[in-house]
Amino acid sequence: MSLWFELIASGLITGGIYAVVAIGLNLQYGLMRILNISHGEFLMLGAYLTWLAHTVLQVNPLAFLPVVALVMFVAGVLVYRLCFYRIVSTAPAVEVIEARSLLVGFGLLYLVQNLAYLAWGADLRGYSFLVETLEIGGARFNLNRVVVFGFAMAASLALLAVLRFTLIGKAVRAMMQSPTGAQLVGIDTKVLHPVVFGAGLALAGVAGALLSTVFEISPAMGEPYTVTALIVIVLGGLGSALGSLLGGFLLGLVETFGMHFTSPSLKMVLSYGVLIAVLLARPKGLFTR
Amino acid sequence: MNSRHALLALLAGGLALAALPWLLSDFLLALALSCVMYAGLAVSWSMFCGPTNYLSLATAAFFGLGTYVTAWGAGALPYGLSVLAGGLVAAGFAALIGAAVLHLRGAYFAVITFGMGELVRHGITYYEKAFEGTVGRIIAEAPESTTVYWMVLLVSMGAVAAAVLVRDHRLGLALRGIGSDEERAQTLGVNARRSKIAAFALSAFFAGALGAAMAVRWTYIDPLTVFNPFIGFQTVLIAMVGGAQTILGPIASAVVFGLLTEFLRLQFPYLFLVILGFLLILLVLYLPGGIASLFERWRWRRGNV
Repeated sequence: MSLWFELIASGLITGGIYAVVAIGLNLQYGLMRILNISHGEFLMLGAYLTWLAHTVLQVNPLAFLPVVALVMFVAGVLVYRLCFYRIVSTAPAVEVIEARSLLVGFGLLYLVQNLAYLAWGADLRGYSFLVETLEIGGARFNLNRVVVFGFAMAASLALLAVLRFTLIGKAVRAMMQSPTGAQLVGIDTKVLHPVVFGAGLALAGVAGALLSTVFEISPAMGEPYTVTALIVIVLGGLGSALGSLLGGFLLGLVETFGMHFTSPSLKMVLSYGVLIAVLLARPKGLFTR
Repeated sequence: MNSRHALLALLAGGLALAALPWLLSDFLLALALSCVMYAGLAVSWSMFCGPTNYLSLATAAFFGLGTYVTAWGAGALPYGLSVLAGGLVAAGFAALIGAAVLHLRGAYFAVITFGMGELVRHGITYYEKAFEGTVGRIIAEAPESTTVYWMVLLVSMGAVAAAVLVRDHRLGLALRGIGSDEERAQTLGVNARRSKIAAFALSAFFAGALGAAMAVRWTYIDPLTVFNPFIGFQTVLIAMVGGAQTILGPIASAVVFGLLTEFLRLQFPYLFLVILGFLLILLVLYLPGGIASLFERWRWRRGNV
């Protein structure tokens, strides 16, 4: 019994992080059709910022979260202005935006990842934070993983609430449903696009900061999360934030259970197997109506 | 330029390139080999993806399947036959997944083709570990490097010839119709599903054959090297930077990329990729039609004078 509880809990913890990474990416895609393949690199930057703050300035990683979010938000606005604004405003068709933004994403991926290699080298870095174990219902967890899960959930739910209940959230949802219609009723693309892009990177940065408290970090750590996030947003439906949250949990659970009952080397086979099965059965994602 | 002129030009270019082994040192020949390989991959990719506006990330999967056909058949199959078999296996695989996923478009198609590639890679890794007890394979008897060069050149020339023929044939018209408006093309009598599967399988044939031809270069192959997603990404980048709607563009950009990569990557591995990333962003932002649009601009200007 406690085995099942442990597996479920650890699947949810993994899934929580997947959800945060995927929601940011999904917002960018849903709103602007920018498929930002360099998303994971900004997660990596968030992780390195936190690691630097912890080792150099001895700042508590959790207290540093808002700073990471703010820095990455500003970075996101800048990246949008410098790289993606021109694509979105000059491309003749949606498919062209997708193709060009994918290329620019690759460019950013090379740029950011290798700058990180130049700055910090290829070594794994890490620090220990809240390593004592916690016992819940007969199952034992490291305290830091539970804290990470709590913050990941808080970030995801806060974003969902913003989307659901605030005026800017309403504008974002309107924009996703009908870009032209939204502009007709006075929603300003020039403000909304950079803000949403920045919010997406802020979420990636927060996810990276949280991950740095549990795992060792390296300049190449971001890529697998980008790939996983792509799977999650396809599972949950492109453009649906709630779908990404549920999709993240689903993928986390599938991976944890699958790895326990088959073999850890099958982890990626399982995720892609789920992805392909879902796409064949429900091409628009699991949670879309 | 009609197809006959294009094919004649291709034949002349191919004969000139075939003489390179007598002119170049080993290092420069290896450089030429990688340029020719990427030209073949990029042309075969844009054969399907250029006119239809699909974004396929499955090239690494086809390439890797091809190399594994050579590795599995090593000793039993002669080199030429294993290249052919590699192409056929990749084409068969492409037809199979094409039938399942070609109704998806845009990001969905990109993600699922990437996923298919990773699935094949992890599947082969698992199979080799569980049933053969190995991680990689050693290819003991490799043909000489000039033979490999000629074989890769032959396959790449085949890819260019096929791209020319497809472009000027009904299939090419059907693909362009699908790319600009699939429903309209169907209304006008194009069998969209069959055209897409045929072109996707044809483009996979060349990627697989190139993989099978290149396999003997490595002597030791394992899934991580031959299914390297970098091969697929690099192919897409080269084709799009060159201009995926054309045939000459991807060839030109394969040469540029090949030279840049081989010269700079060894000396400044990280800085090189930083510069590559930066150049890529600049190119997409300020030259979105690819290198091919430079030719066109030049031709247009000349026509006006």
